Amino acid sequence: MKKLNKFFLMLFASSLFLASCSSDDSSPNVSLGQYDNGMFVVNEGNSTVTTSSITFISNSGAVEQDVFRNVNPGAAGLGTYLQPMFFDNTRAFIISGSANKITVVNRYTFEFIATISTNLENPRYGAVANGKAYVTNAGDWMTGADDFLTVINLSDYSTSKATIGVWSEKIIEENNKLYIANGYAYGDATSITVFNPVTNNVETTIQLGFNPNSFEEENGILYVLGSEKLAKINLATNAVVGTPITISAGAKNLNIEDNKIYYTVDTAVYAMAINATVAPSTPLLTYQSQSQDGRMYGFAVNDGKIYIADGGDFASDSKAYIYSTTGSLLRTITVGVGPNGFYFN
Amino acid sequence: MIFRKLYLFLFFCICQSALAQHDSIHNLKVVEISDLQLKDYSDSQSVLKLQDSIINKNQSSLTSLLNYNSVIYFKENGLGMVSSPSFRGTTAQQTAVVWNGININSQLNGQTDFNTITTRDFNSIAVRAGGGSSIYGSSAIGGSIHLNNTISFKEHFSNTLRLNYGSFNTFGGNYKIDASDGKFSVQMSVSRNSSDNDYEYVDSDGKNLNGQYHNTSLNAAVGYKINDANFLKLYSQVFEGERHFSLIFPSEIPTKYQDLNSRNLLEWDSFFGKFVSKVKVAALSEKYKYFGNVKSDNYTFGQVRTYIGKYDLAFDASDAIKLNAVVDFTQNKGEGSDIKNEQRNIGSASLLFKHQLTQKIGYDLSFRKEFTNNYKSPFLFSLGTKWAATDFYTLKLNGSKNFRVPTFNDLYWQPGGNEDLKPESSYQAEIGNEFRFAGFKVTLTGYYIDIKDMLRWIPNGSVWSPQNTDKVRTYGGEALVNWSKSFGKHHFMLNGTYAYTVSEDMEKKKQLIYVPYHKATSSLSYSWNKLAVDYQCLYNGEVFTRSDNNSRYNIDAYFVSNASVSYDFGKKDSWIVGFQVLNLLNENYASVESRFLPGRNFNMYLTLNF
Repeated sequence: MKKLNKFFLMLFASSLFLASCSSDDSSPNVSLGQYDNGMFVVNEGNSTVTTSSITFISNSGAVEQDVFRNVNPGAAGLGTYLQPMFFDNTRAFIISGSANKITVVNRYTFEFIATISTNLENPRYGAVANGKAYVTNAGDWMTGADDFLTVINLSDYSTSKATIGVWSEKIIEENNKLYIANGYAYGDATSITVFNPVTNNVETTIQLGFNPNSFEEENGILYVLGSEKLAKINLATNAVVGTPITISAGAKNLNIEDNKIYYTVDTAVYAMAINATVAPSTPLLTYQSQSQDGRMYGFAVNDGKIYIADGGDFASDSKAYIYSTTGSLLRTITVGVGPNGFYFN
Repeated sequence: MIFRKLYLFLFFCICQSALAQHDSIHNLKVVEISDLQLKDYSDSQSVLKLQDSIINKNQSSLTSLLNYNSVIYFKENGLGMVSSPSFRGTTAQQTAVVWNGININSQLNGQTDFNTITTRDFNSIAVRAGGGSSIYGSSAIGGSIHLNNTISFKEHFSNTLRLNYGSFNTFGGNYKIDASDGKFSVQMSVSRNSSDNDYEYVDSDGKNLNGQYHNTSLNAAVGYKINDANFLKLYSQVFEGERHFSLIFPSEIPTKYQDLNSRNLLEWDSFFGKFVSKVKVAALSEKYKYFGNVKSDNYTFGQVRTYIGKYDLAFDASDAIKLNAVVDFTQNKGEGSDIKNEQRNIGSASLLFKHQLTQKIGYDLSFRKEFTNNYKSPFLFSLGTKWAATDFYTLKLNGSKNFRVPTFNDLYWQPGGNEDLKPESSYQAEIGNEFRFAGFKVTLTGYYIDIKDMLRWIPNGSVWSPQNTDKVRTYGGEALVNWSKSFGKHHFMLNGTYAYTVSEDMEKKKQLIYVPYHKATSSLSYSWNKLAVDYQCLYNGEVFTRSDNNSRYNIDAYFVSNASVSYDFGKKDSWIVGFQVLNLLNENYASVESRFLPGRNFNMYLTLNF
């Protein structure tokens, strides 16, 4: 309460990271801010306000905990039950389920810009399209019929609502269309909603036959993972291509990197060629977890590395692990409470 | 089957009672309260009694009364919001609340919300520390809180009206009539509490938003003397309350919660020879409605109706030996938006025995076994002894096995309820030392509790489900100090409590979150003629909020005090006008992280006795 947030800075040997520094940055020589070169880990926290935080891991290996409070000691807290962050070119958007609001910060300096708190009711995930941000809302948890999008004007942060009417969870933008998974943590619908941000209407609904939990687009194909199925949707026709591949139960966290599909089952990471027709039977790697719920709570594959966040007990600081794509452990990093994802700057 | 035997037995009782000889004064004393075991079978444990004079000086919620006057630690989600106790480092489900001898912890979540009990409805409230499951059933691990109404057949007639009004538009009203003509005894009261509860936080721009609440309760305790050996008693209570749940962030979706609880107990006491027989039937009902958005009419709810039949037979074998057998049958019927509609039947039998070996030393034993299909029920017991070594020193020893049964939510929540659960169970022991000297009474108690099969909701895929997983060891020491002295017309009274508590998760080897190592309370009263001045204070040590005991996130210790002054303007009757300053030092504090409690605020009251 009264305590000032201490600035935790842990410096590690940087040699591991220097060799694999990201080469994606469009202007690698000009720093856009303190947090330009590295990644954020969102620690969702629990019902206690101080448990939510953002951890920054720089490409050189330095770790800074609780970035938002360090940079903005006077700003209102982020809220807890933080959802995955999303970005536009200059800004990061941090959704809090408990506070029912979105905090906008500069994605490179993490300076506070604005709070959005209108037309939200249990916000879930967000994406940017057509100069606006779109955030899915669960509304009343008991039903999907009232699920809607909050449409945010990014010049003045004014908002409006667009009805979806079916469970709306993860959302991504591709080719100026928005794709919404009709279920994940909430909802058991078996489809994907296609939303046109220009007309501000649902364009079509693609039936999957299973409940989607994660998806990613690659070369005009939307790859959609459910607990036991992986389907491909041709976005030119919005039709499912062929028959979905059967996967072991509990599959989640679909990621596509370098023409490979990665996903997780319990504590194991599996990888398969993007055009494979059969799921692999042996995992690429397995990690140790004491967590009863938070196994593979956050997962990403980026630039030849696999990132795993373990949810731990959701009441104390937990761990993130970085592996090579060949499955060797490169580093273990202490992060915050309930880490749920990695976001690369 | 049970009932047929009961009827035979009752028939036998009636025949006996007609022939019996009796000591009517003794009988009237026994009839006064329903919870006879609290008096007769608690010698080897520490019992703190709070009489109505203390109840009236405190705020009307049970949270506030016990927070300032007992060793129990409270977590309160903002003033008036959900409040849960931790007694001797145990969980909220491990403290039993006993209303006129009946355990009233929620069948749904296993605990009592201490902000849904209005203290002014009762004549006395007792805090019985330590194990009590062999008498009071589930949840009496850390201890039990006893809410009692007294039924007196002494001829009397009195009315009490109490009104208070204070900061944040907080209103409290209580009217009580208490009368008896020797044949009938009637005590009825009505209470109303409400508050806008929109206090500003200390040292911050924040304000308690969406914290308004109101509640109303009706209470009756009626006795009828059939003859010197037979009495009928009826206890009845209805509590209705609505609370908006306060927000931490103004952008949160405002929610609200409604409680509707009713409790009815009909009792027939009959005396024959050395026997006292009590037949009790009770009907209880609890219901909650939770509105996830105050703007919407949609809500989730849960409701349990409970029917209890109980037969309690006490036998004074001699002046030194008491025996007490109790059989009871309980039926709970639960329904709700999130639980499977289920009915559960529990039968139980207990036997209590007390033997005063010499004037100085005595012991008591109690055993209880429950019978039910819903969970495996352990054999419960308690063994205790009390040795009054000298006028100055008394030693108490007690060991017991206690339990907390799985609730309707644990068993039948949809989805996730686990119908294959064991009760949480504990072995515990304590040693109490009582010293009396120069107007002082000092009680020092050390205890040790070993709890296994603690229930915790663990995610199983996307569904959370309870499991018997945790083991907890809690131990500590308590000190109670009481002193009173009069110098002519000057009367002084001092009460103090202190608790040191270690409550350790055996797997993690860490202190449980929200259990302070230190808690202390003190109250000092002074009166002179018709003027009374009171001061009370509370110290809570810092608590961990993280299971790894990362001290960076601890909730700071706090020290809060209240002061009041009152004057009785009455001549024949009593007309008391009082003024209170709460949180006198304007401490910025919270018992739950970010749930700040009010700074300095004021309250005035008027009490009329006529």
